[in-house]
Amino acid sequence: MKDKHIIDILDNTSIASPSESELSDIQAHAQECVSCRDAYEAARLSAKVLQSRARTKIEPSPFFQTRVMAAWREQQAVESVPAMLRLWRSARTLVSSMAVTTAALAALTFMLPAQTTSLTDQTASALSAESVIMGQSSDDQMTYEQVLSTIYADDDDAR
Amino acid sequence: MARQAQAGDESAFAEIVRRYSPRVFSVASRFFRQRSLVEEAAQEVFLKAFTQLGSFEGRGSIEGWLTRIATNTCLNMIRGAKRRPESTVSDLTDDEQQWLEHHSGADGSERSVENSLVATDLADRLLSVLSPEDQQALLMIDGEDASIKEVAEATGWSESKVKVRAFRARKKVREAMEKLLNRR
Repeated sequence: MKDKHIIDILDNTSIASPSESELSDIQAHAQECVSCRDAYEAARLSAKVLQSRARTKIEPSPFFQTRVMAAWREQQAVESVPAMLRLWRSARTLVSSMAVTTAALAALTFMLPAQTTSLTDQTASALSAESVIMGQSSDDQMTYEQVLSTIYADDDDAR
Repeated sequence: MARQAQAGDESAFAEIVRRYSPRVFSVASRFFRQRSLVEEAAQEVFLKAFTQLGSFEGRGSIEGWLTRIATNTCLNMIRGAKRRPESTVSDLTDDEQQWLEHHSGADGSERSVENSLVATDLADRLLSVLSPEDQQALLMIDGEDASIKEVAEATGWSESKVKVRAFRARKKVREAMEKLLNRR
């Protein structure tokens, strides 16, 4: 046993409660082998701090039972409300805001087409054939009569 | 008592809380050292237990059943906090170094409150390299002298899984301790 490393024993069993034969094997080998001696020392100290950690227990406070019972009653109260009502309570803000948004969008849908059409007309008139022919911008538009008189006046001049 | 509580009997539920809260606190203390966290976990355990009373078939003890709920609740809380094991153990404080020097080579049996606090801090430092599940297995076996079977019952893991976890955890903790001792 003296020649057999003890690291496996250290990792396999709790060093806090080795059997007598294991302990004597460990100690006998640890006297001869430096690496196993270090491992044994580390395992022994680890077990010691773990036992100390395990002794650290927090006891329930005197108010703990009251607190749990209050939480339990609250949970009971929540569960007694019908599911649909609970769903509505939690979702009503979202549903209301969605309804307002939908109404606003509907209102805009009815108002915007008129504006869009008039804008389209303006755009079309800005690019009308007369404007292009006359090389005039859309800002100083001519009436139909003015256009005709301008054309025929040019013809008369030519004759 | 479990059936009465399940039927909505408040006094029966209060009795369960009164009788088993020391046990639930003891389990939660393995995972957390802050009182607020231990209390939060314990409260969640009892509320969960109440909603799951229907699944308690009365074959085992209420205490065993609550221990298992407590273990799983604490593990879930730790997973929820996304705490990952540390890759290395940070340097020792002066107090921890003194503690190690005092206990190295001799079987120091001194158990003052201050010394046990230093040892507890040191244990937390070593345990930080383990996953919460491995911590649980090692603390129960090496810290509380629980058997493999007891750990398996408390956690719902198989005995071979407990053995593997304990072996792996013990090896990691021993190696971390060796590193700390070499750094002195």
